[in-house]
Amino acid sequence: MVLVESGEKENLMELVRDRLVESGWKDEMRIACREHVKKKGRKDVTVDELIRVITPKGRASVPDAVKEELLNRIQKFIQSAAL
Amino acid sequence: MSNAEDNKSSHDQLSSQVFLDLVDSVIADVASECHRVARLGLDRDLEVVEEELRLSVEARAKVADPSNNLETNTKYVVDIFGQSHPPVATEVFNCMNCGRQIVAGRFAPHLERCMGKGRKARAKATRSTTASQNRNSRRSTSDNNQLASGPPGFEENVRRA
Repeated sequence: MVLVESGEKENLMELVRDRLVESGWKDEMRIACREHVKKKGRKDVTVDELIRVITPKGRASVPDAVKEELLNRIQKFIQSAAL
Repeated sequence: MSNAEDNKSSHDQLSSQVFLDLVDSVIADVASECHRVARLGLDRDLEVVEEELRLSVEARAKVADPSNNLETNTKYVVDIFGQSHPPVATEVFNCMNCGRQIVAGRFAPHLERCMGKGRKARAKATRSTTASQNRNSRRSTSDNNQLASGPPGFEENVRRA
């Protein structure tokens, strides 16, 4: 896919990560994980399970500004790539 | 026209898809990181830090409490950072009166001599003309102009010394 080949996906990933860390989203996610670990116990928890648990919350709690910025950037890229 | 709209909506869909994809990747990273920390017990470090904080608060309270018996270690008190303070302050600075370099712990005695309480300082002062004025003015109770002169009480102490 052009997105990956052009290296734009890397850039977007970095941008997303930075924004989500800045906004405290990552910290919230880590707290949610830790709570689940406390409930389930250290030994029993799996990565898949953690992903399953935090994905709905994670997707929903992305700040609107971050989402907008990302979508804009992606759209611009798609449009320029389609030309 | 509708073509453009179709394009736009498929673009929107694509953008959303890409966006969700990116967010899912980050979520997976976070989950993986937390999983690792949990399995390796690395979050125990957090508990250690919290415990240390608690201990330091306790220690501070103990030091501040006057009813505590502090005979042990009074010579070299160790504070919460592990620093020890010698009984005589060792920092060196310049005396604002004479400009000499003085050890902080010996500053008070130095100042006594430097500013005219001690015998040596008074002997120095008699050589200058202002000094004799000082001696005369010291007899009167309300003269406070001269820096070099001490309050009347000093003179009596000096005579005794």
